[in-house]
Amino acid sequence: MTALPLFRRAFFDTWRSTLGWALGLAAAIFLYLPLYPSIGGSAQMQDMIDALPPEMTKALNYDQIATGPGYTQATLFGLLGFLLMTIASVSWGAAAVGGDEESGQLELTLAHGVRRVQVVLERALALLLRVVLLAAVVCSLVWLLNGPAQLGIELGHLLGATVLFAGLALLSGTAALCVGAVTGRRTYGLAAGAGVGVLGYVFNAVGRQSKDVEWLLNLSPYHWAYGNSPVANGADWPAAAWLWAISAALVVLAAVALERRDVGA
Amino acid sequence: MAPAISAKSLTKKFGRREVLHGVDFEVEAGSVFGVIGPNGAGKTTTMRCLLDIIRPTSGTIRVLGTDPRAGGPELRRRIGYLPGELFLAGRVTGRTLLAHYEAISGPVPPGRVDQLAERLGLDLTRHTRKLSKGNKQKLGLVQAFMHQPELLVLDEPTSGLDPLVQQEFHAMVREARHRGQTIFLSSHVLSEVQQTADTVAILRDGRIIAVESVSGLREGAVRRVRFTTSGIAAHDAVALLSGVPNIGHVEVLEADGAATLSATIGGDIQPLVRMLASLRLTDLVLEEPDLEEAVLTMYAAPREEAQ
Repeated sequence: MTALPLFRRAFFDTWRSTLGWALGLAAAIFLYLPLYPSIGGSAQMQDMIDALPPEMTKALNYDQIATGPGYTQATLFGLLGFLLMTIASVSWGAAAVGGDEESGQLELTLAHGVRRVQVVLERALALLLRVVLLAAVVCSLVWLLNGPAQLGIELGHLLGATVLFAGLALLSGTAALCVGAVTGRRTYGLAAGAGVGVLGYVFNAVGRQSKDVEWLLNLSPYHWAYGNSPVANGADWPAAAWLWAISAALVVLAAVALERRDVGA
Repeated sequence: MAPAISAKSLTKKFGRREVLHGVDFEVEAGSVFGVIGPNGAGKTTTMRCLLDIIRPTSGTIRVLGTDPRAGGPELRRRIGYLPGELFLAGRVTGRTLLAHYEAISGPVPPGRVDQLAERLGLDLTRHTRKLSKGNKQKLGLVQAFMHQPELLVLDEPTSGLDPLVQQEFHAMVREARHRGQTIFLSSHVLSEVQQTADTVAILRDGRIIAVESVSGLREGAVRRVRFTTSGIAAHDAVALLSGVPNIGHVEVLEADGAATLSATIGGDIQPLVRMLASLRLTDLVLEEPDLEEAVLTMYAAPREEAQ
């Protein structure tokens, strides 16, 4: 008997997908960060940013783009990296239980010597580890480019931002996993996961526009994570704890839901 | 001996639609039990209830002496299951996939997987998603049989298999039975299970309408006989044939020169063979009994006691 058989299958059999996303993130990093000295840090760029409508700079988090950490926060952690990580995490989360059930394979797995709770937990662990792996790749590459691209990021702040970055993606992924496990449908999982990611982003962008809609920020996981620009200022650790705790709660909910219902019916 | 499976008053509702309306049956340990019924009769639902994939709305089930709801992984390790519709995706080879199922089922004797794959003619080095339907089915059979479970639950096991592989499958079932394993299998036609099953249950519209032993069906079944005889007038042959017990539908097909007659015979064939021995036969065909027809005529009109 091998330990954690379901985790092993979910983690190792998807190595192509994991590698693909890692390469995508690496490409985004190598595309954006080396450009900082010529774009973000230049006076011309600051003039251009100043010329943009302030609503737009706020929505895109470009208000801090003139500093290395701010630039990294806005372009990588806040935009392209966030997008890629969220898509990867949501697609894995939706496939973990809902997708597996919809394709008819979960039935055969459950007919074997496994518990449903175990299926959910091992697959959630595989999701977690893949997200952590991607976040570690991002963190390492940013640190690698920190000197050459003159970003001036503090290691402590980078690590904190990475924890939030992973936690944010994981929240969307576990939402997808949970809704997939409750409904047995991959599409519903995808919709839920994408909803958490997109609404979080939109609530942040809109909530930053004026005092009247500031309350939207409270509903935005994106804002919880990035409200204080962690790459520049260090992590908001309670926010990080919230993100990870809600993810854990969603996994527990998924396990309870799957335990209690008919599969493949 | 305690039954390997017993189901009492099993009902299952999906929303408002009830698909099982009180299914009762017992499967004797060490026997081969076939459930026959058209698609949608409730065979798959019944099987899924046995494995706790879905939960019955009411009624009780005992599988190997345990309620599947409470039996957990320990019980399911003692069962081999082949789902009715088998989906095997992923970019893995058959061998890798089987190693995964091996990790989550009962212990598999060394060399057993290769031996089964060879018997069924399955290439384990190919990627599962590139396999044909028949080859996927073989992979499904290997994962169900490989840990030599006490109970095999096989939903339409021969679907997609070519006739030679079907024969090999029947041999595997007979061997499993010899080893003392219990086999519960389903089919939409009786002819597929009559070779291996000891008992058949007819499931229709969510109810078991009949449980019969295959040998009993065989005895009660009607065979068709046709023979050609020379040196005797056709009407004499008819008279002789009509004297045999349980004979019916006597027809003269040829009366010029050699006489060719056909008839049906139910039950014991010994008197017929004795009569035929007294004739000079040039041709004789005694067909295998059609159990399907026997069952259909028996239950064309549902009888009260068959419920």
